[in-house]
Amino acid sequence: MAEVSLRHIKKVYPNSERTSKKGLFGRKKADDGARKASSLRITDEGVLAVPDFNLDIADREFVVFVGPSGCGKSTTLRMVAGLEEITDGELYIDGQLMNDVAPKDRDIAMVFQSYALYPHMTVRDNLAFPLKLRKMDKQAIDARVNEAAETLGITEFLDRKPKALSGGQRQRVAIGRAIVREPKVLLMDEPLSNLDAKLRNQMRAEIIKLRQRINSTFIYVTHDQTEAMTLGDRIVIMKDGEVQQVGTPQEVFEHPSNLFVAGFIGVPQMNFFDAELVRDRDAYSVRVGDAVVVPSAEKQARLAAHDVTSQPITLGIRPEHISLASGDAATLVGTVDVSEMMGSSVHVHLDSLGQDVIVIVPTTEIEGPYQDHFFAGAKVEYTFAGNVIHMFSKDEQGTNLEF
Amino acid sequence: MSKKIGRGNSQTQATRRWAWLFLGPVVAAFTIGFVWPFIQGICLSFCKFRITSDATFVGISNYQAALADPSFQHSFWYTAATAVVSLVLINVFAFAVAYALTQGIRGSNLYRTVFFMPNLIGGIVLGYIWSMIFDGILSHYDTSILLETKYGFWGLIILMCWQQIGYMMIIYIAGLQAVPEDMIEAAKIDGATKWQTLFRVIIPNVMPSITICTFLSLTNGFKLFDQNLALTGGLPYLIQPDGSTINTTEMLALNIYNTFYNSSTAARGTAQAKAVIFFVLVAGLGLAQLAYTRKREVQQ
Amino acid sequence: MDKQQTLAAERRNKAILSVVLAAICILWVLPVVAVVINSFKLNTFVKTDTFALPTSESWAGMANFVKGMTFGNYPFKSSVLYSVVITVLSTGLILVFCSMAAWYIARVDSLFCKAIYFLCVFSMVVPFQMVMFTLSKTADVLKLNTPWTIPIVYLGFGAGLAIFMFVGFVKSIPLEIEEAAAIDGCGPVRTFFSVVLPMLKPTLISVGILEIMWVWNDYLLPVLVLDINKYRTIPIHIQYLKGSYGTVDLGATMALILLSIIPVIIFYLACQKHIIKGVAAGAVKG
Repeated sequence: MAEVSLRHIKKVYPNSERTSKKGLFGRKKADDGARKASSLRITDEGVLAVPDFNLDIADREFVVFVGPSGCGKSTTLRMVAGLEEITDGELYIDGQLMNDVAPKDRDIAMVFQSYALYPHMTVRDNLAFPLKLRKMDKQAIDARVNEAAETLGITEFLDRKPKALSGGQRQRVAIGRAIVREPKVLLMDEPLSNLDAKLRNQMRAEIIKLRQRINSTFIYVTHDQTEAMTLGDRIVIMKDGEVQQVGTPQEVFEHPSNLFVAGFIGVPQMNFFDAELVRDRDAYSVRVGDAVVVPSAEKQARLAAHDVTSQPITLGIRPEHISLASGDAATLVGTVDVSEMMGSSVHVHLDSLGQDVIVIVPTTEIEGPYQDHFFAGAKVEYTFAGNVIHMFSKDEQGTNLEF
Repeated sequence: MSKKIGRGNSQTQATRRWAWLFLGPVVAAFTIGFVWPFIQGICLSFCKFRITSDATFVGISNYQAALADPSFQHSFWYTAATAVVSLVLINVFAFAVAYALTQGIRGSNLYRTVFFMPNLIGGIVLGYIWSMIFDGILSHYDTSILLETKYGFWGLIILMCWQQIGYMMIIYIAGLQAVPEDMIEAAKIDGATKWQTLFRVIIPNVMPSITICTFLSLTNGFKLFDQNLALTGGLPYLIQPDGSTINTTEMLALNIYNTFYNSSTAARGTAQAKAVIFFVLVAGLGLAQLAYTRKREVQQ
Repeated sequence: MDKQQTLAAERRNKAILSVVLAAICILWVLPVVAVVINSFKLNTFVKTDTFALPTSESWAGMANFVKGMTFGNYPFKSSVLYSVVITVLSTGLILVFCSMAAWYIARVDSLFCKAIYFLCVFSMVVPFQMVMFTLSKTADVLKLNTPWTIPIVYLGFGAGLAIFMFVGFVKSIPLEIEEAAAIDGCGPVRTFFSVVLPMLKPTLISVGILEIMWVWNDYLLPVLVLDINKYRTIPIHIQYLKGSYGTVDLGATMALILLSIIPVIIFYLACQKHIIKGVAAGAVKG
């Protein structure tokens, strides 16, 4: 049983430390460069990396922190690990306050992006090391090591040094070293980022399998939204140190809380249009270009519940929710810029209402009535339904008006 | 909100508790072996003393005495001459040998091994070996390395070449091997002759090694002591009109040593002042090197 | 046709180069050969027939070596013993304590660490003459004047280069490995000894070789610090033989020199690769 609770967690890097990093003695911190580039707040105390992080993670839950680099996701993870001091707030693992507990006493394990294997030890010794430090007896260690090796399919490499392994194999060893301990919480910091695309997909599937087998709570950090969507029970989307939305993959996909989440989740990115929300008593409609779209009843109700008034908005529609149309069925018109053949579908980039709009067309439709639509310069008419539109306010946060 | 701000990485916090273990021994030994003697040395250079406990402050008179000492002046010029001549010879030969050894000649490794070998032999032993050799030659002409300044000078130069060419060669070989092969091939295809390739492509690319070796041989030359002591010990000497003597092949380090230990104890203040001047000289060379390499690094 | 000529010319150049190099090579080993030859000669022939092979007339055989053992009012055996003791202890101390200090300095960001590091770099440009008088007095006061305690002086005076080289290497080790160790259950001390120290191995070898070469051949520091009547290292012993020049038996001296070079050459041939690598590393840093 291991619930993890983060209450008002805050992280400030004191000024002195940041300035000294440039000097002779600077230590390289995780995504330091990116942190510098992002728009983090600088206060009197120093640089505010994470202002106020709150989250309750259930036992055996798989939570993914996702966001662009420098958003504080790694910092938060490292605070859970105990590698980074918690400036303020409380961290509980299993109901126990962990703020001042050393990493080794938190009963956690961590997989690093760079694998961080001990180069002078064989794979077997790498796996056994944490167990030896816990003074386990030799037979038990052997049993656990062999079991973990078998789970991950690295039995044949047990007597090799990490140097003699490929990237994927090293990654397995790193995961192996984390799971032999059967920790309460398993932390993973961008574990797949150093692998090539094919291997990454394969390892992703293995992590899904792995998690069925072990009883740990998972916290997984990534900048890759696909990983987040496929792995997480719940996803925490972060930006500039702040949580943007917490929810299941389906929730964040279907109901992004703001413009940032909407743009971050989903490939290709959601299309955005400048539009106008018009309220006529309890009936809402959206005017985009020359067309008018009526939100679904469900959305109408939500807007009404929040008493949303008429205002300019950003309208979002996912490329997969746009379909080609003709005649009266069409809503908007565009000109084809470029078409990307993806195999099962074609990504058509349109110039519509003065901006780039992506439409996903299944390959099966190419032979149909729309086959002329894919050449550059072709005129294309398209439409979308009222139940797939997203309406965001025009202010800085770009909040979803349904929320 | 009243909690103190964390100092970032909490591993560091845990490590700090062990500072006494990690730093203690080195700090203690470093204080005994360097910091304290250094500070004391600076202080004593302004004092008159026989032993360290009877020092009395005398201002800069030690420095005046040191700079006015003809043997010190002579040793400075002698050292400078030795350092510069050896610098040129060592670097030219070391580079030539390194270049030859990177041409893929059979037995390169053996040659490299042999050329580097003298480095392992200490300065005192080297001096002894070469004094035997030079005297073996000069005895046929009824003279000795101890009788003529020019023999002592060139003898020392030969000795330094023998000892240091192998060392510099290693650095040059490392530098030459770091020059990308395709760059040389590109030069060849562009129609450069072998000499043009050497001077226009290779040498500009091993400039860092050349800088390192130049400074290294210069400071080595200035700091030379053991070899100087063992080969000639400063002989022959010249008697000055005022009755004092100048050891004509005595270099700075040996001059300081002799002022400390082989003349009246009253001269110890002067000796310490000489040592400080010597330090400033050598440290100046070191800092010049650092500044120079830093600048290059920035440019690259 | 043309191409063949250039290739032939290149071959010829290489052959000439080989011959020249071989000639220089022979020249290079001549001094050592001279030592070997003369160590078997009678005293009077060393000076007059330095470059001649021993003849039946000048042949002294092993007598020089036997004589050399007790030569110069000091047993050569003791010199060897003290040289070995001082070199081994000093190098050991420097490797252990400097790597520890360097790791701490590289990982902990404090003013004190910066100050130590600065002093270390600074000490590398300070010539020994600057501190020799005061250092030998301090060593006397603290009873660091025996072969068993002088390694502390070496640790102090030699810390600069060692720490500089270790810090450079530690900084290239990714911090994640140490973080992984912390999570796996290591405290700082264990992290250093079980994880960092093994990774430092190449630098330990480089620094170790530089220190061995320095301490083994060092003359001035031990001669000023040690009690010369009791303790002489090999360089001191040989220099003190020369002190009584003219009366000294050159044949026996050469025998001693030969004996003192042999272990060095064996050491060199055995770890040649490491030595050359270590020297190159030390030079580029220093």
